[in-house]
Amino acid sequence: MRYVLLAAAVLTTLTAALLLGPANVPFGDLLASPIVWQLRLPRALLAFLVGGALGVSGVGLQALVRNPLADPFLLGLSGGAGLGAVVAIAFHLPGPWALPLAAFVGAVGAMALVYRLGLMSGAELDPRILLLGGVAVGAFAAAITTALVSLAEATELRNAFLWLWGGFSGASWTTVLVILVYTPLPLVVLFAAARPLDLLALGDEPAQYLGADVRRLKRLVYLSASLLTAAAVAVAGVIGFVGLIVPHVCRLLWGRLHRTLFPTAFLAGGVLLAAADTLARTVVAPRELPVGIVTALLGVPLFAFLLRRWTVS
Amino acid sequence: MRRWIQRTHLAGFVALTITACARAEHVPVRGGIAVTDDAGRRVTLAAPARRIVSLLPSFTEILFAIGAGDRLVGRTTWCDYPPGVLAVPSVGDAMPPSVEAVAARRPDLVVLYRAGPNLTAAEQLERLGIRTVLLDLNLLEQLGPAARRLGVLTGHSRAADSLAHVLDSLASQPPASSTRSLAFIVWDNPPIVIGAGSYLDRLAALAGARNVFHDVGAPSAQVSIETIAARDPDFVALLSDSAVPPRYAMRPEWRVVRAVRNARFLFLPGQLFGRPGPRAAEAIRELRRRLEAAR
Repeated sequence: MRYVLLAAAVLTTLTAALLLGPANVPFGDLLASPIVWQLRLPRALLAFLVGGALGVSGVGLQALVRNPLADPFLLGLSGGAGLGAVVAIAFHLPGPWALPLAAFVGAVGAMALVYRLGLMSGAELDPRILLLGGVAVGAFAAAITTALVSLAEATELRNAFLWLWGGFSGASWTTVLVILVYTPLPLVVLFAAARPLDLLALGDEPAQYLGADVRRLKRLVYLSASLLTAAAVAVAGVIGFVGLIVPHVCRLLWGRLHRTLFPTAFLAGGVLLAAADTLARTVVAPRELPVGIVTALLGVPLFAFLLRRWTVS
Repeated sequence: MRRWIQRTHLAGFVALTITACARAEHVPVRGGIAVTDDAGRRVTLAAPARRIVSLLPSFTEILFAIGAGDRLVGRTTWCDYPPGVLAVPSVGDAMPPSVEAVAARRPDLVVLYRAGPNLTAAEQLERLGIRTVLLDLNLLEQLGPAARRLGVLTGHSRAADSLAHVLDSLASQPPASSTRSLAFIVWDNPPIVIGAGSYLDRLAALAGARNVFHDVGAPSAQVSIETIAARDPDFVALLSDSAVPPRYAMRPEWRVVRAVRNARFLFLPGQLFGRPGPRAAEAIRELRRRLEAAR
């Protein structure tokens, strides 16, 4: 029943994203309108895929560091992405892809650094080291970013921050293609790791005794989750909160087994972000809201409701 | 002493007394001059300012236009008009102003744009004994009042009044009848457009072009490409010193907008259009000329 509900939510959200918008497209013209084909459809798909990627990434990272507060952006990725984007603008790197690409490179760079820190400690990818390292690397990247911003021309960089704060304004079939190229591999890796991740919830040693290759598992999960997040950053900037809350919602509704958690987190993340973007485009039309605000406004009350139900029962 | 007063409960009382005195001496004594700035502060000078630092290109242009350009001892890196201003030492980008760099020019008057960080800077300068004036300059109708007060403070009232008169009458003109429409797109991702609460919106109206985002009250706003496509402007206006179409013009999602698809771009040089200034009439003529040339 709950799965039927989820499927219905996916269909409703995507349909609404295609039907609603600030432009008035007559119902009969829907299939022919370039507004639908070039703007609404790629944007809805992009929002859905990014939401899905962030949701799955959040599930993976929360399982990895065994901390309910883990968010794909807590591990220094947003700091690295911000630095990349600002470097691209401050040094006038040419081409329409310079900014997203630089953000991607920055995110992956931060990820590599935190990963390296995680390997230095005795235990393999110690959650505490990962979290602390992530915060430290993020703060360091943020410091360099701020230094660049205060030294370079201000207006362009202010706009870089607008981009970085996330949104789907730049959605096109190209960006959909980019995320379709990046996401399948990490998604498959994570889905395949569902069973060992269930074991990991018992702790490193018990998981090892029960037959999981903990070392390899942690590395794969960390790299895959980070890649998903970096890909999301490259096409949509930093959209916080989805990766934090969607895993919890899914755990409350569909249980803790990763076999169901991964697919439901993908779909629920997609629904949340596609719905949030539709609202962002329409509620204050002709203006537009930053999508991160809408995800928080939608997600927090839902989350609070579920938490309450969960703690009561 | 002054700092001590500010820190005690006496501050309010003292301020009241000073205001009362100032009001009593509404007509300044011989040689003394006074104006009220847009922060509601009374700015008094014993004599017309001789060493001025301007912290906004618009103020710099006004000072030159009223014949007080030779009083300028400091400017921002953005002040690039008229060309003679480049000989004046720069005090940095003024975002926020470097109080030390400004003070080092030993000014007797600093002209600042009234905005958050500048209020703090003005306070700090006053504490160093340097007079400051905070003026609004976002809209066409704010140019005249700003010019008038700068005229009083520099002793160039006559030139300033005649400039202000021209600018005021420009600001009070009804919009020209518009047959064409445009959208000012200042950034592409996310798309940011200029709304009604702006200098550019008014310039467009006076030049005979309707800003399709005139219903947005704010100076600028984030919108979606879809909204721009639906509003379907005849032209896309860009603040740009070159006539190279923006990069986004080639992207499929932007080509849904008719004006982008047909490359109907108006490239407006930032020096003339990017800020409210005494050359507003010239900017309007230039925009009208470009609209007609693009027909």
